[in-house]
Amino acid sequence: MNLSLKGDEVAYLRGHSATLALAKALGRPFYLETSIEEVVLFTEEDDLIVASAFGIGEKIERALKCTIYQIREMEVPLIVLPKGHPASPRLKTVVSIGPKTRLCCSIHAGTHPEQDVLCCTEELEGLEVLATPEGASVEGFFGEVVVIKL
Amino acid sequence: MRKEVKALMCTVGGGPDIGAIEGLATKEYECLDCKNKFKGMGRRVSCPSCRSKNVKQIQ
Repeated sequence: MNLSLKGDEVAYLRGHSATLALAKALGRPFYLETSIEEVVLFTEEDDLIVASAFGIGEKIERALKCTIYQIREMEVPLIVLPKGHPASPRLKTVVSIGPKTRLCCSIHAGTHPEQDVLCCTEELEGLEVLATPEGASVEGFFGEVVVIKL
Repeated sequence: MRKEVKALMCTVGGGPDIGAIEGLATKEYECLDCKNKFKGMGRRVSCPSCRSKNVKQIQ
């Protein structure tokens, strides 16, 4: 499935139990922060931000849109918590940024910072999202797709 | 076709920990305009402080 996606748009892939949101990275920098250092992730124009959340509905979609907006438009840094931090279970979304993202429900979340994987529910297992100049190519998804303004 | 993978893994509710970014293949740069030093990943490198593309890799 090829998705047309403009720079000011977000695409929702609506599953039965999970939602994905896609938006272009627009070549923006993204900031990863630990307690001791900062790493800047430099992206290409066509790279994609893929945000995933367990759940469906308006509340989830607004949360995903907000996450994408904050990290792309406001350059809000992504805080990397140390292992065992009590806030880890409170985080509700996962984010992948790059030319390709694979959804996998069997990985140990958070332990694959250099891989193009994002954790998800079983429903989205195996789904692949590839960045294209027109937007995105999505393999393995047959649900509803909605594109709106970010 | 670009091969470089720059995906970032965070976490989701349920108790997992976020990955250690110490393992990322970062490079160190210095901005030749404002002298800011920073770590980065990716090809389109620019200074996060002054936005200059006049940077050099130092490590």
